[in-house]
Amino acid sequence: MIGSFKIMFLIVLLVLVNLLTGCQPNSGEQGEKQQTSQEIVKTLPVAGQDNAAKTQRIVVYRATKDARYLVPEVHEVPQNDHPVKTALELLLTDSHNPDTIFLLPPGTKLRGVSVKNGVAYVDFNEKLIKGSNEGSTGEMLMVAAIVNTLTEFSEIDKVQIMVEGKKVDTLAGHMDVSEPLSRSEKIIKKSL
Amino acid sequence: MRRAIGLLIFYAVIGTVFGSTTDVVLAAAQGGAKPSVAVATKRLAELTQVRWAIHTDAATGGSKIRIVVDVSDQVDASSEILSTPTPKLVITVKGARLGKVPKAIAMDGKIADGISIEADEEKNTRIVIDLPLMIDEDNVKVFTLRKDPVTKRPNRIVIDIDKPVPPVEFSFTPGLRNKVIVLDPGHGGSDPGAIGLNKTMEKDVTLAVAQIVKNLLVSEGAVVVMTRADDRDVFAPNATAVDELKARTTVGNSRKTDIFVSIHADSCPARSAGGTTAYYYQKTRYDALLAQNLESGMIDKGNLYERGAATANFYVIKRTMMPAALVELAFISNPDEEKLLVSNSFQQKIAQGIVDGMKNFFEQAANLGGAKR
Repeated sequence: MIGSFKIMFLIVLLVLVNLLTGCQPNSGEQGEKQQTSQEIVKTLPVAGQDNAAKTQRIVVYRATKDARYLVPEVHEVPQNDHPVKTALELLLTDSHNPDTIFLLPPGTKLRGVSVKNGVAYVDFNEKLIKGSNEGSTGEMLMVAAIVNTLTEFSEIDKVQIMVEGKKVDTLAGHMDVSEPLSRSEKIIKKSL
Repeated sequence: MRRAIGLLIFYAVIGTVFGSTTDVVLAAAQGGAKPSVAVATKRLAELTQVRWAIHTDAATGGSKIRIVVDVSDQVDASSEILSTPTPKLVITVKGARLGKVPKAIAMDGKIADGISIEADEEKNTRIVIDLPLMIDEDNVKVFTLRKDPVTKRPNRIVIDIDKPVPPVEFSFTPGLRNKVIVLDPGHGGSDPGAIGLNKTMEKDVTLAVAQIVKNLLVSEGAVVVMTRADDRDVFAPNATAVDELKARTTVGNSRKTDIFVSIHADSCPARSAGGTTAYYYQKTRYDALLAQNLESGMIDKGNLYERGAATANFYVIKRTMMPAALVELAFISNPDEEKLLVSNSFQQKIAQGIVDGMKNFFEQAANLGGAKR
């Protein structure tokens, strides 16, 4: 618990330069995976922490306040040997950024994640379904945020969402999540 | 040629897909199959590996095949679509020779049947992709990537082909008379759907609006089938979500339905979000047109923020066989819109907007797709 708070303190929130301006989605991809860019990274000094310690850059996705797009949120956290799990834990932790929406239902916890042949099998507790009071727009943003956060890793191409160890067909009764899903570039708000 | 013009008109009509019409038309005009940066290479590059995968977009549900060709050096690749004798996409890789890659690769036939790779006399390599259906330039994107020392990836040529929309099997006449319209009031029974701050349940709003839409349609001579006509589960109480969704699509698929419209109220964790949306899944050439017309009708009568018509990977619009749309009337999670959703006057207005949208859809759909059968 204390450890995770430390991580929280180390979090570096990005503020997208154009969060409140411009509304065009990405029209195309430049790379096999598009690099996120144009964010301002602000590092908060942490007492008692060795500033020279190695850190890793982790990107999670949040929704814009108007629930139309996803935007990347960049975290700078101490390096460890399980960055995928760390990314999911960050995704499940509300960063209280006033410019974005925290998408996951309260109480949602990660049960596990494994990567096999480019597919990440990510397993959440039942709160992901039962705690979800989402309309189709909220559900779509939530699914895309999970998939886009995981496909930031070069070894992950697709994401199979699971609940309590089993594949599920839908989360809030609108989306079809029965198969492994690929990254959605269209839903990411385009940087200036 | 006629086909190309038809497609352009089609793109102009479908309008917004997360963006503006200009975006879509621009993307269509640019093609995306442009040659990439030319690089002068002294010795010939070599193709070293070919891999492919089908990808389903997490948000839109759109399907594409991605073929990645590893090359030993930077190359220039251009593409061309051939329609005769059979549809093919030909990628020419300049100044590259065949390496250890196989000369033929079989595929599953959903988007591509297979690849053959051959060298020509001018020191170029041609990658020929056999396609089951003719595609348009905006369905293809070819680009090259430089090697990345961090991820240890080599130089690559990436070929993305969107799954084409299958040929049209529908033909429509104008007017609502005798049209078979399935209305699906979202949620119901043991599933309340989203719940507003004032405890308004989505299932009650969707049913109330669907009933008004039904009455308006019946008075215009349409045949209306409701997936539920009261507060109940369509499959069974506390059934799995997918059984419940399947039961709804079955109502549409088990009869000769013209259109399927699922009615919902939206919700997201931020109270500030609001507006009206119409979602579709591009499985026929009419889905986008239907959603676009429903959105215009609802905005015209309901006067809320126009979120537009957008593609979405939603079960009921994907698994129904006829043109379908899922409309989100307003946000039940937004306190102002929650008030509107329970008011009779707003319900009447938005229901009229849906009916107007359907009428306009049949009018426009009747003009698409050539001769009537």
